[in-house]
This record gives sequence, C-alpha cells and structure tokens, in this order.
Amino acid sequence: MVELVVKDLVAGYGNVSVLHNVSLDVPNGETVALLGTNGNGKSTLMRCIAGLIKPTEGSITLKDGDRQIDLAACSPKQIVEHGIAMVPEGRRLFPLLTVEDNLTLGAYRAEAREKLAESIDFCFTLFPRLAERKTQQAGSMSGGEQQMLAVARALMSDPKLLLVDEPSVGLAPILVSQMIEKIGELNTSRGLTILMAEQNFNQAIKIADKGYIIVHGEIAFASKDATDLRENDMVKSYYLGV
Amino acid sequence: MIILELFINALIAGILLGGFFAALSIGLSICFGLLDTVNIAHPTFIVAAAFCTFILNANFGIDPILAGIIITPLFFGLGWVIYSLYYQFFEKTSAEALRGLAFFFGLLFITEVVLIISFGVDHRLVNAAYIGKSFGGEFAGISVSVPFRLLSAFVVAAILTLGLQMFLDRSFFGRATRAVHQDMMALSLMGVDPVAIKRIAFAIGLGTCGIAGALMIIVIPIEPAVGRLFIGNVFAIVVLGGLGSISGTLIAAMILGIAESMVSTFFGPSWAPAVSFTILLGVLAFRPTGLLGVGDTR
Repeated sequence: MVELVVKDLVAGYGNVSVLHNVSLDVPNGETVALLGTNGNGKSTLMRCIAGLIKPTEGSITLKDGDRQIDLAACSPKQIVEHGIAMVPEGRRLFPLLTVEDNLTLGAYRAEAREKLAESIDFCFTLFPRLAERKTQQAGSMSGGEQQMLAVARALMSDPKLLLVDEPSVGLAPILVSQMIEKIGELNTSRGLTILMAEQNFNQAIKIADKGYIIVHGEIAFASKDATDLRENDMVKSYYLGV
Repeated sequence: MIILELFINALIAGILLGGFFAALSIGLSICFGLLDTVNIAHPTFIVAAAFCTFILNANFGIDPILAGIIITPLFFGLGWVIYSLYYQFFEKTSAEALRGLAFFFGLLFITEVVLIISFGVDHRLVNAAYIGKSFGGEFAGISVSVPFRLLSAFVVAAILTLGLQMFLDRSFFGRATRAVHQDMMALSLMGVDPVAIKRIAFAIGLGTCGIAGALMIIVIPIEPAVGRLFIGNVFAIVVLGGLGSISGTLIAAMILGIAESMVSTFFGPSWAPAVSFTILLGVLAFRPTGLLGVGDTR
C-alpha cells in the first residue's frame, strides 16, 4: 500500500522558481495523469519526486503502509530504495550498453538484485521486442524500442510507484497508443501505482483514473475521477479541441 | 634463416611486451576512457609503485610480485583521496577540462620530485629468482630465447587485465562504471550514486599502479623520471583501443608491443618510440573512435 502526497511544493532552478504551491495526491493502485503543455513544470515536479531537484518549500510524502517517508529529505538513491522508479523524459538510456546491461543496471538496488532473472522475464514478456534485441546496443534501436527499454529498465527495480515522464515524446502516433496501453496494463495487471506526466491529453485520459492539469507551475484543475477529467469544460475546450 | 629467427624472437618478445603494456594502460583505460579524468600522472604513479617495490625487495627481500600485491591497497587509497579532491575542486564546479589536466600535471611533478629527493636519480633494480634467467632452446633449427622476467611480467599482467575486464563486464559495479560517463542522471535514477561509483572506479584504476609498478621494475631498471617515457605509450594505447573499451585497450597494447619489438629488432631501438604515434595516427585516420571504440550514438 503506497500513496504519494505532494503538498504546497515550491521548486525551481537556481533563482528561477518553476513550481508554485503544487499539491497532488496519487492514491494506491491508481494511474494519475499530470497533464500540461510544454514548459509548465511537469518534468520539474517529476524530478522533485525522484529527488533530482530539492524543493525549496512544501513536502513530498510517501505513505508506505504505516510509514510516512519524507522524500524531500531523501537522495535519489534512497528514493529508489523506497520503491519509486522513474522513466525519465527523453528516455535517458545508456546508449553504448546492451539492452541486457541497461536492464540489469535497473535492478541495482539490493532487493531488486535477488529478483533479477524474474524481472528480466517479466520485461521480455511485456515487450517481446526487447528479448529479440537483448545483445544490441541500446542507442542503435528505434525510438519506440528505446522507450520500451526505458520503461522496462524502470520496472527492473521492482517499484511500488512508477513515475513516467512524457512517454509519448518523439514517437509515431501508433506507437504512442501502444505505449500508453502498456502503461495502463502495468496498472491493471500488476497493480502498480502510476504517476504519468503527459502532454498528449487524448491518449493520457484513456488510462487515467484521475488527473491534474498544471499551468505555469500551478495546478489549474484537479479532477475527482476519470469521468470528471473527461467531461471537464476546461479540458474539452483547451486541450481536446472538442 | 637468420631473418626468420630474428622475426620469431621479436614476435615472442613483442607479445610479452604487449602484456606489460596492457598492465600499464588498463588503469588509465578506466580513469581516462571510462571516467573522463585525464590522469596524465598515471605512469608516474606506476614509477612510485616501482620504488615501493624496490624498498620492500631491497630491505626485506620480499618477492617483487608479492610486493606489488602488498602495495596495491595503498594505491587504491591514494586513488580514493585523489578523486575526492579532484571531484571537490574541479569536477563539481565543471572546471575539469583544463584545470583538471593542470591538477594531474602538478601531481606528476610533485611525485617525481619526491622520488628524486628520496632516491636520487640512479637506476634501481630488484632481485628475484626469475630475473636474469631465460628459457630457450632450438625448435626446428631456430633458436628461441624467452627472458623469464618478461614472461613472469606477462603472466601477472594477463591475470590482472583479464580479471579486471571480466569484473567490469559482469558485475553490477562494472556495468555502473561503464554507464557513468554516458548519463550520470539516469544512473542516479537506478539508485546508484554516480560520484561514489567514479570514486571507487578511479581508486581501482590507480590501484592497478601497484602491480604495474612491480612489473615495471621487473622488466626495466627504473629512475624517477622514467614514467615520462611511457606517457606517450599508455595514452596512445588507450586512444588506439577506443575510449571506454577495456578489450580495445588490451588489443592495442598487444599491437603496440609487437610493433615496437619488431621495429627495434629490424630498424634499431631508437625508432621504437616513434612506433606508437605512427600507428595511432594511421588508425585514427580510418577509425576516429579507435579500434573498438563505438563513439557516441546519442
């Protein structure tokens, strides 16, 4: 049982503040979409949760069973050890390493190493393409295959909460919907709790249990549930073009 | 027949020399090829290790190879300290390119001066049962001679380099070391502290100086500035093999060892130092990333 609670978060780069009092909640077992166009702070928020950026104010809390973990005080390494994995924007694979080495590195933390073989099997079943390309250099694969590897590598750490930052970037439309479906499948079949940042509203709302819209570093709209997200006037008029 | 005999002897000596070169270069291949630290002082640290071996051998009669193993943790520790300083003052502030090079140049001179003050500029040697003897015989009318000192250095070098390569290839730590220069941020998302990886890897790279120094004093007489002779060689080998490729380094060391041995047999020893850079230029003209270097596919 994990739940991620972000409260009144203020963060940025140097003197430039990007997020202003952002609050959101990712309940256990749900897929939450963080929606917004480019430059509104989605990636900054994701990086804060993964520990790559330290927030200046506010809190990020992971509720794991009875424990309350203050993630803002953790290093990226500790955050991975608490069961959070991130698929970063732009995939960020190790291009010169093989597919297999990329996956193995994903299982670096002690608990994940024990399940290494099992996790690799799981990833190869989820993305059979990766099994075919096992010994190939990651950088020499197509964009779609690289995105599969990025997701699979994050799964290798056996996370409870998966952060996915813009899985659709740079992919052909058919691959985008396949990728989104796979992420949805991880939630439904594996029970993984997911926070996904996305600018492709049409695709993201297909799998989201609820969503937040972020505009200029502030939460402009927080939906109660999936229907609320789809039926909202603001979403319809600005982002879906209906 | 005499030409064939010369050729075969030069080939054997070259292969043995290549193994020795591999031991000298593998630490630099890690520090420079995988971690992007231009450790120009690497050969000088090897000379420092050679002097440590000399002390242990001359004062306590310890076998030079055993001495090399004994001092390896010392050089591992030294590498740990050097990288911590380098990270704190240069890499963290992104000033590594030129000022970092100056830092290692400074270390080179300081080490050299300390060695000169402590030992003078005389050449030093070590004693061991296998030094000064050779193994030889006639095979099909060709007389072959293999100096034991080169053979023992080759065997130790092979164990060191192949063992290290296997470790970097198969362990979690090795994979992280190979990944760290490709994407540090992505590595921290895997739950790995990239700076810790670099620190340990650099320490391992410098740790190899312990064994390499012992091999150096087994193979040649040493004096404090002898490291300079090898700066060209080791950098040429690492670049020739391809940055980031340990197996490339081992192959390049072999090629250079054989080529130098051939050239000094057939054209005279004074030509030998020109060999490494001639081969380097030739190979880089056709393969800019080195023999096994893959370049950057990003």
